[in-house]
Order: sequence, then C-alpha cells, then structure tokens
Amino acid sequence: MADIVRKLAAIDPRIIYLVMGLAVLFPILVPIGLRVTITPPTQSAFDAIEKIAEGSRVLVSFDYGPSTSAENDPMAAAILRHCFARNLKVVSIALFPVGGDSVARDQMLLAAKEFPDKKDTVDYVNLGYKDGGQAPMKLMATDFKAVFPTDAAGRPYDSLPIMQDVKSYKDFAIAETLATGIIGEWWANLVNAQFHLDVVIGATAVSAPKYYAYLNSGNAVGLIGGLKGASEYEKLLVEKYPQFEGAYKQAGVLTATKGMDAQNIAHLAIVFFILIGNVFYVLMKRSRRAGDAA
Amino acid sequence: MMKRRIALILTFIAGSLGLFAFFFPGVPLFPVWPFVATANFKSASDRLDTWMVIVAGFALTLGVVNVVQTHGRKIMRQEKGWMYSVALLGGLFSMSAAGIYGLQPTEGIGKYTDGTSTPFDWIFGNIFFPLQATMFALLAFFMASAAYRAFRIRSFQATLLLAAAVIVMLGRIPFGEMISPHLSESITGTPGGAYLLPWLTNWIMDKPNSAGQSGIIIGAALGAAALSLRVILGLETSYLGQGKEG
Amino acid sequence: MIQAWIAAFLTLAIMSFLYKDNPVFRFAENLFAGVSLGYFVGIVLNQTLKPNLYTPLVTDFRGNWDLLIAGGIGILLYFRYIPKVAWMSRFALAIYIGYYVGVNMLQKLQGEVLPQMQSALKPINGFNAASLNNLIVFIGVLAVLCYFFFSKKHEGAFGRFATLGIWFLMVSFGAAFGYTVMGRVSLLIGRLNFLVNGWLMHLLGR
Repeated sequence: MADIVRKLAAIDPRIIYLVMGLAVLFPILVPIGLRVTITPPTQSAFDAIEKIAEGSRVLVSFDYGPSTSAENDPMAAAILRHCFARNLKVVSIALFPVGGDSVARDQMLLAAKEFPDKKDTVDYVNLGYKDGGQAPMKLMATDFKAVFPTDAAGRPYDSLPIMQDVKSYKDFAIAETLATGIIGEWWANLVNAQFHLDVVIGATAVSAPKYYAYLNSGNAVGLIGGLKGASEYEKLLVEKYPQFEGAYKQAGVLTATKGMDAQNIAHLAIVFFILIGNVFYVLMKRSRRAGDAA
Repeated sequence: MMKRRIALILTFIAGSLGLFAFFFPGVPLFPVWPFVATANFKSASDRLDTWMVIVAGFALTLGVVNVVQTHGRKIMRQEKGWMYSVALLGGLFSMSAAGIYGLQPTEGIGKYTDGTSTPFDWIFGNIFFPLQATMFALLAFFMASAAYRAFRIRSFQATLLLAAAVIVMLGRIPFGEMISPHLSESITGTPGGAYLLPWLTNWIMDKPNSAGQSGIIIGAALGAAALSLRVILGLETSYLGQGKEG
Repeated sequence: MIQAWIAAFLTLAIMSFLYKDNPVFRFAENLFAGVSLGYFVGIVLNQTLKPNLYTPLVTDFRGNWDLLIAGGIGILLYFRYIPKVAWMSRFALAIYIGYYVGVNMLQKLQGEVLPQMQSALKPINGFNAASLNNLIVFIGVLAVLCYFFFSKKHEGAFGRFATLGIWFLMVSFGAAFGYTVMGRVSLLIGRLNFLVNGWLMHLLGR
C-alpha cells in the first residue's frame, strides 16, 4: 500500500498534463452550456457604460497582447459592442508594447465589420500605440494631440472629425483599459487619482485580485476579472441588447461564456489534484512515522 | 567624478520637474522665462513628457543590439546551439524588415484597405501570436503539476491558503453554485438571496483579500516613494553603475 | 489555410515541450524571441519615431526643434555599446531614470497610499453587516502593515497582531492562486480552441 501511494505521489508529470489537456479539450468538443451568475464588480462596469449619455466619447485602451488574448479579447469584443449599441464614440489607443498595437487594430476591425453603419474617424478611431507608459498617460491630460499627432493609419489628428475639440481626458466620459499587467494599475493610480477620469478595468484573472483594492478605494468604477468576468459581461450585454444573442451563439467562435464550460472542468481537475496530492502526503507521512516507530 | 555629478544633476532635474509642476504649475521657469513668456513648470513638464515618449521608443529597442552581438558571435564561432541563433536572428531581421517596409506611406503595419495583411501584420498574426499565446498557455499544465506535487498543508497558514484557493476556484465556476445551499436575503444581504460558495467567494475577494492587497499596496508604495526620493536626491546611485571614470 | 497550418505547427512545436525538450521546441522558442524583438522595432519606428519625432521636425522645425534633444538622448542610450564613449550613455540613463522615479513618487503617494488608506477607514457605527465588514477591512490592513514593519521585533501583542496580518495575506494569496488558475486555464482554452476550431475543423472540411 505504501509503495502504491509513493508511486502515485511521484507520478510522471506528463500524465497530469494529459489529464489537464483532456479536461479542457472535452468541453470545447462537446459544449455543456452552464449558467453564468453576475458578480457586483462586473455589474458596476456594465452600469458605468450604461449611465453615459449617447454621443459621448469613450477611451478604450488595449493594454494587452497575445499572451492574454484568450481572456482580454472577449472583454474587448463585449465592451466595443456595448459602446456601439449605445451610440458612444470610441477612441482606441494601445500602451502595451508586446502586441497591443496589433490586437487593437484587429479588435477595432472586427467591431467595425459588425457595425457597418458606424463610420471610421467619425464614430470611432484607432489612434494606435505609443511608447513611454506613464509619459503619454500624463501628457494626454493636457495635450492629446501631442501624444497622437496621427492615428494608427497615419492620418493627421486635425483631419479626424471624432477628435475635433478633444484636448484632454476632460473630453472623455470614461476610460476602459483592457490590461494584462501594471498598465491597468496606472490607469487607476495615475489617470483616475490625478486627473479624475472614471476608469473601468478589464483585467486578466492573474491581476484581478489586486484590482479589488482599487475598486474599493474608488480608483476604478468597475472591474471585469478574467474569463469569468468577460462571460458575466456577455450575459449582461445579451440581456439588455438581445440583438447580440446570435453573435454569442455562433458555432466555432470562442466566447467567454463557452470558455467557462472548459473552465468548470479544469478547476475541478485542479481541486482534485490538490486534494489527492494532500491525501497522499498525509498517508506517506503516517507510513514514515510508523516506519520510524518500528 | 565630474561626469557622475552631471548625471546626478540630470536625474534631479528630470525627477523634480514633474513634482514642481504638480505643486507649483504656474511658477515661471526662470532660466527660460525671459525668452519664452509662457515657460512655467507645467509647460516644461509637459514638454519633458513629449520628449520621454520618444526616448522610451529608443529604450524599448535597446536590447536588439545586445542580442545581435551575442547571437551573431555565436553563429560566427559555430558554438553549441548556433543553429537556433540563426532562427532567432532570422525572426528578428524579417520582422524588423517588415516594420521598416511599413514606414512607406502606402504600406503601414496593419491591414490594407482591402482587408489583406501587410507583411508585418501577417508575421504578427501567424507567427508571433501563436508562439506567444502558446508559451503562456503551457503555464496551465505546469500549474496543474505544481498543484499536485507541491501544494501541501504543512501548517495552519498553508491550510488557510488552500481553503481560500479552493473556495475561490469552486465559487467562480457554475459547479460551485450547483453544490451550494441557497442562503436567504437576510443572511447574504443580496436581493433574492445567494448560493453559498459564490457569495462566500465574492465576500473573500471584496473584504479579506482587498484588505490584504491594500496592505501590500500601501507598504510597497511607501517603499517605492522613499526609493524614488533617494534616487532624485542622489543618495541612491546604483543605476549609474560602478564605473571608475567620472 | 496555409496560415492556419503555420500557426498550428508553431503551437504544437511549443506544446511538444510538455513531452520533453526537443529541437523543434528550441527552434520555435528562438524564433519567438527574434520575432518579439523585431516587433518592437516595427512598432517603435511606425508608431512613435515617425509620427512623434520625424514628422513634426519635417513639417514644423521651428516649433519642434527641441525634439532633436529628445532624439539625441535616445541615441545616447546606444553609446553604451561603444566602449570608448559608453560613459555618455549614463547621462541619457540618468534623465530616463530620473523622470520615471519622479512620476512614480507622486503616483505612489497620491494614487496608492492615500486612496488605500482612505478606503480602509470607513465608518464603524453599530452592530450591522456593513460595520462588521468595515472593521474586518480596517483590522486586516493594519495587521498586514504591522507584519511588514520589520523595524520592531514581532513578539508579544505586536507579534500576535502581525501573525493576524499573515493570515489575511494567506487568504489574499489563496484567492490570488484561485484566480491565477482561472487565468492560466483561460489561455490554454484559447489555444486548444484554435487547434480544434481554427485548424482541425477546417482540415476535416467543417
């Protein structure tokens, strides 16, 4: 018995990898369709956009790259759909150097295809990526044009109708950051704290626990945490705007809600690993003690 | 000694300009003010912000030179693993070439007007994206292995950590709701009541987790602010290196 | 379709590391490192240096001549690679580091310390759920700060209070672990979804 426990405790990690892979693969092949419940931070994020008057300008910052696309892309898609459904004018930027520029272009292009009535440079614009992190974030509080003299496609700032009369953060109703790392914190502790622009944070699950502190201090007005947060936002969006139901039911398209099926099985697998690992640990400890006593 | 002193003075000016601009935005910047009437701390700080956007761009690509030197040397000397250096430099030069090609007015680094990809965008979507996304996806496997082999209840504190982790992991999935009893509104304070595990998870994230994170944020922020002040005042000079000259 | 094959090959090449380290993985890993750096070159040239440095100098030199100084500072950073003049790069580094520590100092104090302290100090008036929660948060923040105060020995009442801080930290870290699991699994879901729906299904003609 002790031998079996010892062997199982030292099992080849590749078996664990295989179990993990199958746990995630199965719901992708056979969708389950589990229910999603809404949490207060995501509700706050949704309500923050709902409260904005139609025609207002919103700033969407793509502060993530391919490393967390699986989490942040569904958030981006949901937020852009929400903004366009509410006839808000979307100005997108990117501050994350490792792929932020390209994901911003891709997401804005996808949104533009879904809303052909929205006009580029009039209803939305992608200003592109800018280096410097806090430097452009500070400068946008005074002189937006100095940070983005052209948009991502190279068109001069003054030629963009959506940017007419935009001087600073004061000309935006809210900023939404889709963040993978520290840049999301800068929106809260720099832009909101010093320049008083309301900020909604779409954070990866790894950083979401820390953002609860910013949410409670008022530096963020809403928080979308990880794939679960994205699935909640999708649910709120479909409940309020049923025209998006079809988009979220398309076969072969991964949405956060569909991803939660796989998340469900994977979490159970990890909990099982933790519990069974500790059971073996306790059994081995007991057998060692019994062996020492003998 | 003189060179080091100049560097410290530059650090002080660059660091304190933003602070002075925050507290005294309208105060004239005396060395410049007689020549430029609108020169004050705020305008100078804003201009420095503009400069730093450009400097940060140069800084981001600083490592490229080092990588080319290191791997170029490896290829020329045909050291162990030099073939991989060929792949690295091949990737570096082709992506850079695509970026330089994109500088032309009709090109760019996104998509063309007909929806097809520029060379830069094509390499990003079909090579960079799958490589980086998969690199990070591997972490899920390693985490599962670590959870099995290393996550042990050796003490009360470890048990507390484990309990919080399990509650949060179950509370954030639909399964957590399925196995939880329904608690009434009087207990949870939520209209219509709530299921135990999701409600408990929300409470853990909102209260004890938030308290812990706040404590960490305050402590780290005070430390960072103190270190920043030391650097600005020239008391901390490790970033300048150990060089004997100046 | 060729794009899907290339992406699938590279995905599987990286995943092959799970079986064991092998030349295909090494090739993909090095390719990734090279392409990442090349990406930086592309976006810096197109999104920063061209619109923020080159174009303003060319279109309005009189109003933007000072940007030459910024460009000069940027180029000075590269002098570190030329041994004879490497000392000059320290001036550029001094400005770069000085600027960001200045920004950080204000950011940390105004954006983190003050708001976080304010959010920990909420009313505790009466025996109700809100007051109890505010008390828990207040005690938690205080206990964690006590734990990180290493200038005083953690013994007696102070030591016990610091231990309470560790308990709060353990709950935080446990919650963070739970969320980290969610985060990492999400990334795996994305890649496996691509392999199934973005590649295999196309292969099977669905």
